[in-house]
Amino acid sequence: MRRTLLIAKRDYLQIVRTKAYVVGLILLPLLFGGGFLLIPLANRGNARDLRIAVLDRTGVSAGAVIQEAEEWNRRAKANTAFGSQGAPRFSFEEVKPEADHEAQLLALSNRVRSGEFFLVLDIPPDALRSSGEPARYYTNSGGLVDQQSFWLPGAVNDGLRQVRLKQLGIDEALVPGVLGAVAVVSTDLVSRDAATGNIVQGHKKSPIQTGAVPFFLVFLLYIIAIFGSAPNLGAVSQDKMQRVYEMLLSSASSFELMMGKVLAAVGASLTSSTVYIIGGLLALAGMAMFGVAPLHLIPWFLVYVVADVLMLAALGVALGSACATPQDAQQFVFLLIVPLVIPMFLLAPVMQQPNGRLAVAMSFIPPFTPVVMLMRQALPGGVPWWQPWLSLVGVAAWAFAMIWVAARIFRIGILSQGKTPQFAELAQWVMRD
Amino acid sequence: MSAVEIDQITKTFDAVTAVDRLSLSVPERSVYGFIGPNGSGKSTTMRMIANILYPDAGTIRVFGQERSGTRSGLIGYLPEERGLYRKMRVRALLEFHGELRGGRNVTSEVNAWLERLGLAGRADDKVETLSKGMSQKVQFIATVVPEPKLLILDEPFTGLDPVSADSIRGAILEMRRRGCTIILSTHDMGVAESLCDSIFMIFRGKKVLDGTLASIQSSYGSDTIRVELEGGASVLGALPGIERIKDLGQVQELRMAAGCDPQQVLCTLTGRARISSFSVVKPSLHDIFVRIAGPQPEEMAVA
Repeated sequence: MRRTLLIAKRDYLQIVRTKAYVVGLILLPLLFGGGFLLIPLANRGNARDLRIAVLDRTGVSAGAVIQEAEEWNRRAKANTAFGSQGAPRFSFEEVKPEADHEAQLLALSNRVRSGEFFLVLDIPPDALRSSGEPARYYTNSGGLVDQQSFWLPGAVNDGLRQVRLKQLGIDEALVPGVLGAVAVVSTDLVSRDAATGNIVQGHKKSPIQTGAVPFFLVFLLYIIAIFGSAPNLGAVSQDKMQRVYEMLLSSASSFELMMGKVLAAVGASLTSSTVYIIGGLLALAGMAMFGVAPLHLIPWFLVYVVADVLMLAALGVALGSACATPQDAQQFVFLLIVPLVIPMFLLAPVMQQPNGRLAVAMSFIPPFTPVVMLMRQALPGGVPWWQPWLSLVGVAAWAFAMIWVAARIFRIGILSQGKTPQFAELAQWVMRD
Repeated sequence: MSAVEIDQITKTFDAVTAVDRLSLSVPERSVYGFIGPNGSGKSTTMRMIANILYPDAGTIRVFGQERSGTRSGLIGYLPEERGLYRKMRVRALLEFHGELRGGRNVTSEVNAWLERLGLAGRADDKVETLSKGMSQKVQFIATVVPEPKLLILDEPFTGLDPVSADSIRGAILEMRRRGCTIILSTHDMGVAESLCDSIFMIFRGKKVLDGTLASIQSSYGSDTIRVELEGGASVLGALPGIERIKDLGQVQELRMAAGCDPQQVLCTLTGRARISSFSVVKPSLHDIFVRIAGPQPEEMAVA
């Protein structure tokens, strides 16, 4: 154990002092978190006046629709949770319908193309009778998410309802009460506090808690596991090429040497994790969002980091030892990332039904447990308390098996010469006495 | 007492038997030379003594203990294929190797060895900045710190210039004076003759020579004539009683068959050419090596 720890210490210091590690440590949050940080900046760039032309072919609805649209935009700007202060400012201009509707639409479209208008809203003549012909908006502002679809339909319908009620002679003073919207929000289950016996109301679920936090945690685990294990492939084969191992093997057994390298990888991964966790918590505190931090999951996150890196780094060290060149080692990279990539493809159904059969089954398959179980635990509602513990037994057994297989390959690979073995030969090495 | 006692060890790699039922006894506090052609099993035997490889059969005892699978600071091993962590600094690397094997702080010993081998000024440099000779000295220090009781050196002089080779030779002799047993392999028969107390030769996995230089040479007897004469090898054809002639250029070595009378050879040669020198000697280690390992191209058979 002394020799294993000494090798681990040397390798750990070598890893964390490399430029690649330090640069990666800084770049990862910049690449990942930078996207979130850039959203307000990008929105700030959008914060300009956008003109909307309202072509009201009912002849009586434009005023009400514009009034409601302005109200929708005022409410949206007041909601600062996602940095909407950077949202664009809309102004509206009523356009009188002309006899040749198609020609008018073409002319208005050209004014959109020229940048004079951002959008043209066309309200059909029968809109007040709900005839079925839709109101249309014409714009050349493309994108994956059509921001206008979030507010414009509501504004148009609210405006049209106002006009309909007025035409029916209903007192305007009653209208806000009749049409007033009631918010519908997703909320956690009500529970009883075990200590006080009091009933505890569920918290309102925010998109950050239900989506961003679980995804961020799993993505972080994924990145740390890959960066913690994959470099072993090339590093070990390179050291083997430079003939550094034979002398070490006279002082330490091949198992001690391998485990030293694996523990160094685990240590470097835990260092990365600690930096990111502390950095993440400080960032959340700075944004006055510390409450969304899943503090209760941090120990589990670290356990999963250790489990993933133990399994994958052992395999990486072993496969690296079998390779004749670092280039040969690259062919084995996919073996390392498969256990991480497969559950990433299945995250969508897991997020939709975290306690569904697929999610539960996946979280009990040891190579997939860290990613899937962490995702399930991070989602609101969580998992039954015993599931992470039971799955951990499987993960421990799997890690033990992986280390055993890796040690069998490493003891032969580290002294082997010549060409890189194929999978069949590696299997023979595992079985050989 | 023997430092190393090897009893009937065999090691095979797939279909190749690298070491075949080898037995050996290395006396304590001696310099024991391993010689043999490339691929004869020297390095495999050394790796087994150093616990890097394990014999398929037989036992190896080091200082009386069968140590298969265990490691301690008793043995220092310098492999034939040199390699060091190139990004580490010299002192840190040596302290790592010393602590790994000895389990204790070795800073003072590292400093003393760096001073002795003229590397004190490079202690804080990275290994990758050193010359090949310097790297070999560093690896030698990594092998002898902390001070082992058994030192296994696989071709320690390969690639060294004469000055560096002398400093390593001096260090080896000093280690012996301190009580260390040294096993070294070499292709330089001069090194084996001058440095080793005992010599062991392995050929195709089997032991073919084992003993002191004198005892090995005695077993072959004084069967060699060394002659210097006008005309060189061209006048040596069809000499009665001579098995082989080795042309060394200025000097020719003649191996006599059993029962051959050197006086008769001298008489024959005086009739053929003017002789500058004529002596009857025991075969050199080089000659013995060649006799065992096979004929060399420059030899010509005359028997």
